[in-house]
Amino acid sequence: MNRDGLFKRVSVNAIALWLVLFVLAPSVLVLASSLLTRGDAQLVRAPLTFENYRRIVDPLYLDIFLSSFYLAALSTLICLMVGYPFAYLLARTSPRYRRNLLLMVVIPFWTSSLVRTYAMIIILKTKGLLNSLLLWAGVIHEPLTILYTDAAVFVGLVYSLLPFMVLPIYASVEKLDSRLMEAARDLGASRAATFVRVVIPLTMPGIIAGSMLVFLPALGMFYIPDLLGGAKTLLIGNLIKNQFLSARDWPFGSAASVVLTLVMAVMLLVYYKSVRATRRQEPA
Amino acid sequence: MNRVFKFSFMSVVYSFLYLPMIVLIVYSFNNSTYSLGWKGVTLSWYNELFSDFSLWEVALNSLTVAGISATFATALGSMSAVAFYRYSFRGKDFLYGLIYILIMAPEIVMGISFLILFVSLNIPLGFFTLLLAHITFCLPFVVVTVYSRMTGFDRNIIEAAKDLGASEFECFRLVILPLLMPGVVAGWLLSFTLSMDDVIISFFVTGPEFEILPLKIYSLVRMGVKPEINALCTILFGFTLAVVMIAQMLLKEKK
Amino acid sequence: MKKLLLAALALCASALLIAPPSFAAKDEKVLNIYNWAEYMPSEVLKKFTKETGIKVNYSTFDSNETMYAKLKALQGKGYDVVVPSTYFVNRMRKEGMLKPLDRSLLTNFGNLDPKLLNQPYDPNNEYSVPYLWGSTGIAVNTRIIPPGEVTKWADLWNPKFKNSILLLDDVRDVFSMALKVLGYSVNETDEGHIREAYEKLKELLPNVKVFNAETPKVFFIEEEVAVGMNWNGETFKAEKENKDIGYVYPKEGAGIWMDNMVIPAGAENVENAYVFMNFVLRPDVAKMICEGIGYATPNLEAIKLLPDAVRGNRTIYPSDDDLKNSEFQIDVGAAMPIYEKYWEMLKVGR
Repeated sequence: MNRDGLFKRVSVNAIALWLVLFVLAPSVLVLASSLLTRGDAQLVRAPLTFENYRRIVDPLYLDIFLSSFYLAALSTLICLMVGYPFAYLLARTSPRYRRNLLLMVVIPFWTSSLVRTYAMIIILKTKGLLNSLLLWAGVIHEPLTILYTDAAVFVGLVYSLLPFMVLPIYASVEKLDSRLMEAARDLGASRAATFVRVVIPLTMPGIIAGSMLVFLPALGMFYIPDLLGGAKTLLIGNLIKNQFLSARDWPFGSAASVVLTLVMAVMLLVYYKSVRATRRQEPA
Repeated sequence: MNRVFKFSFMSVVYSFLYLPMIVLIVYSFNNSTYSLGWKGVTLSWYNELFSDFSLWEVALNSLTVAGISATFATALGSMSAVAFYRYSFRGKDFLYGLIYILIMAPEIVMGISFLILFVSLNIPLGFFTLLLAHITFCLPFVVVTVYSRMTGFDRNIIEAAKDLGASEFECFRLVILPLLMPGVVAGWLLSFTLSMDDVIISFFVTGPEFEILPLKIYSLVRMGVKPEINALCTILFGFTLAVVMIAQMLLKEKK
Repeated sequence: MKKLLLAALALCASALLIAPPSFAAKDEKVLNIYNWAEYMPSEVLKKFTKETGIKVNYSTFDSNETMYAKLKALQGKGYDVVVPSTYFVNRMRKEGMLKPLDRSLLTNFGNLDPKLLNQPYDPNNEYSVPYLWGSTGIAVNTRIIPPGEVTKWADLWNPKFKNSILLLDDVRDVFSMALKVLGYSVNETDEGHIREAYEKLKELLPNVKVFNAETPKVFFIEEEVAVGMNWNGETFKAEKENKDIGYVYPKEGAGIWMDNMVIPAGAENVENAYVFMNFVLRPDVAKMICEGIGYATPNLEAIKLLPDAVRGNRTIYPSDDDLKNSEFQIDVGAAMPIYEKYWEMLKVGR
């Protein structure tokens, strides 16, 4: 029993130590600086103040938050619609090909995302590949304006975040016991009913994990929207970056970052609560 | 599901993923300095690339950092996912909350706060600080992926193993780990991908003596994607494909 | 799956064996340079190492702001030669982040154009040595827009250019333009005037197709846009690819900037830094840099060595008349958050 305790102690302490040192300590730094005042030469200075938080309530920043949320939520949804069936089919192919197919999903992502985004521009621009192809095929007669619109931003975001949706879902579909599905079918459930009542609930942890890994990074992202959307809108990521770099208002930047974290935390909490509540109502 | 539908759907997604790669490869042979227009075929970018050794060194630096940090993050992350799932201990919710904070924190904030932390701890910037930062930001991706694989896991299997006399460690190694493997692999792949692509955090935590590929590419791309970068990416892409294929062949032979 | 992981592990282990992280030996002579990306030809660095035996670690930054944030956090340590723009020399100087220069160690300093020395951002060049300079003006594609139609900043407001111009994605540059149109200084700190500039810019928004600061030249080369703000060096490179493109020095005054070599207060290889700066001031080296990078050198002796085609190119070397009304940007200090606030409002579209 002593040795068992040892394994638990080692693993718990290792992660606790790491998180406290490299996550808690920097977070405390951020929190502390969000309560200070902008200094001209020394970045942050006394006095302590809540002024930075009061400023965030400004409708200007509310607009920025809302448009970022909209962008992140819609990209997550598209990723899920494409990623779920894809991950599902992937996990159901014969084991002989499965691992190659899985690797093929991530390999393009080992090439710099910036370089790939520029490749995307080559495809989408006014005189680009897509327009040339469509013009040649006679589908359109005037080149479409795709680049520097919202559509281009979504294409870019979905493209760069898709594997973060596919991999967790794959991991949860892969362990699905196909006997459960057979049982449901034997009991007379239709294919659709089996999928909705059995498969989706069982792979829910993968869906949640994937949606989180897409949604949260999408919220803070600004390179892709800037490059493909023409930098015409301001997102939370831009806002925070500008505060830290060009405005040199670290306290306000920190406050914005703390608020962003809190809002996301509340959303996650509400989500978990609602999932638990619905689970309890359903007959086991 | 219909076979044809299945095949065509997967092909469409794969083409979506690979289309930019193909464009990039084709353009690495483009005879134009500013790669957006097509001006005929040339091999000069490859020539230039082979005469510039600094890019190779930088690419190897990156592979090293990505390989080590992905491996370390996967080990630590899987261990913690198991601990979070199986044990109850004081401060568990708090630690799990920290993991979420890590996913949610904007990169620029993370980069700057790491920098301040390292400076105040007096750790010189370079390989080591880069590694610590990369392990940290990869960690939650492993934990979340492995944890989601574990939920809904039949706890009786573990109990059975323990009844049969397995120690906690043997239980982890012989029972839990094999069952988690797809999640662990997915976590490693995500971590490696993240580490190979990170610009913002790396910018702040690396020192003058240790440069990595994403930063180098970022600095070159700012002045317009040089076809030299396309050539480099093409070679790295080919190299990865070759390694993966060789590894597959070797594994197949063993069977 | 397990084997796949093992294979992956083996792969990175082998990568480790091939490339053990290299750390410079302690007694080796080194110099840590921190400069803009693609802002110094690699032949210059090779030549320097060959002549002096000093090993160069060359790191790059993408904006003054990121460079400043990093140096600030490092408390001025880690780098020996840094190349900030004028208004950051101004700010870093005020904050004690720079070492005063010992002119006696810079024997080639006399090669520099006196017109570009002793500017308000650094009187007497106590802390900085000019490296390259350039201007922010308007690039025009004359095949699409007849020459003479765009001669001043205010012409960009023409409703004809709906959804078709490019603006540089930089707060100071964009506001400088509007302030110039209104007849104010580019270094305005008065909130009322900045707000007026913001109102003026709001009228310009329907004309904006794209904001970009990474590679404005590509948009012009590809004819994705026909007119817009641009830097002269970027326009010079665009001209080479697409001969219809020309550069206009706006009547209200172009923005001018200069990048300067400085030594951070905490630099550890100061002697080597001086050797390097003096090396860059040599006419033959300055010529190499100017030709490689495409921006103007402040080195008069180097200009004499340049071929006529480069020396006589007005995009790179404007006449005095071209630069009438032009101003150097300097640090606006506490007014920066005001600019940032109106920039945010502009981008959010309020």
